Amino acid sequence: MIYIRLEPEGRTMHFPRLGTVLQLLRKLGLGNNAALIIRDGELLTPDRRLHAGDEVVVRTVTSRG
Amino acid sequence: MKCRKCKAVAAVALPSHNTAFCPDCYPVFVRSQVERAIHRHKMIAPGDRVLVAVSGGKDSLALTLLLHELGHDVHGLHVDLDIPNSSTDARAACEGFFAKLGLPLTVIELRREGLAIPLVKSRIKRPICSVCGKLKRYYFNKFALENDYPVLATGHNLDDEVSRLFANTIRWDHAYLSDQGPLLPAESGFARKIKPMYRLTEFEIANFSFLRGIDHVIAGCPYSGKASFPIYKGLWSGLEERMPGAKVQFYENFLREGRPVFAAWSDQQGQLPTPCTECGYPTSAERCGVCRIKAMVADDEK
Repeated sequence: MIYIRLEPEGRTMHFPRLGTVLQLLRKLGLGNNAALIIRDGELLTPDRRLHAGDEVVVRTVTSRG
Repeated sequence: MKCRKCKAVAAVALPSHNTAFCPDCYPVFVRSQVERAIHRHKMIAPGDRVLVAVSGGKDSLALTLLLHELGHDVHGLHVDLDIPNSSTDARAACEGFFAKLGLPLTVIELRREGLAIPLVKSRIKRPICSVCGKLKRYYFNKFALENDYPVLATGHNLDDEVSRLFANTIRWDHAYLSDQGPLLPAESGFARKIKPMYRLTEFEIANFSFLRGIDHVIAGCPYSGKASFPIYKGLWSGLEERMPGAKVQFYENFLREGRPVFAAWSDQQGQLPTPCTECGYPTSAERCGVCRIKAMVADDEK
């Protein structure tokens, strides 16, 4: 299972399987440059692979006011 | 994906530049973009004291750090809007950040001016985002002039600028199109305004802020739900996804080809602002927008 935390909403979700960061972004309906993808304090580019047990933060970057 | 410079594993991919950077090389790229903007538009003269308008968000705090590291004399100014569940965090982020860097920060509290945003929102029928923006610009400019700061810097990024240009273009708003740009010279009671981050997208600044450990506010303003700019930003993100580089092309080409035409039109109109009869702030009416807002709030209280 791959665990996802969406920021700034604070919502959590999980996926049984995901290949890459790009697949995660597509599942969430996000463009490549719409969010920071953070795993263990490290930024991931869209080509990086995700693994079972990963805890990933998806932090959208569009500021609102 | 590998870093363009050192071939280490990349942390940030930038399709619009057809490149990628590792955590060590990426801040160097961001810094070069800001340096280039300052140099190209002659934004800051040697010895200028720079007043930076800070909100507590990633853009203005990243700008503060970059200007400080580039050796500029930086002073922060934060306007506390008094919005519940928002302003306390924003102010704390600014105060913590400036204390960490050892830089001076001034806070103006709208509550003390009788203009706390929740109060204004309850009394004014106009969209609160435009009123809030007007109040902030007023106090930033006033503080800069009263304290002899030759330059007022804001953290507007490429997405902000493209959204604003797009909104102005949809309306074919000649007046706004005539003076939109990364540098507004000092004139008619306005301080010189600069936007050194105009070449960087929100994504690029968010990556920089993360890599440099900037502790900024992440949650959006609770009152911004009806703001139109996020809609424009969404449209442009979709376009940029399919056509990398579209944003910077739209904006830079406007600066080169479009703005001079609108500026010439504006010069022909020849209408200069005059001082507000109440506070002296430059305005095209007898009384400036902020004095009118104050009067509306006061009238309702009576």
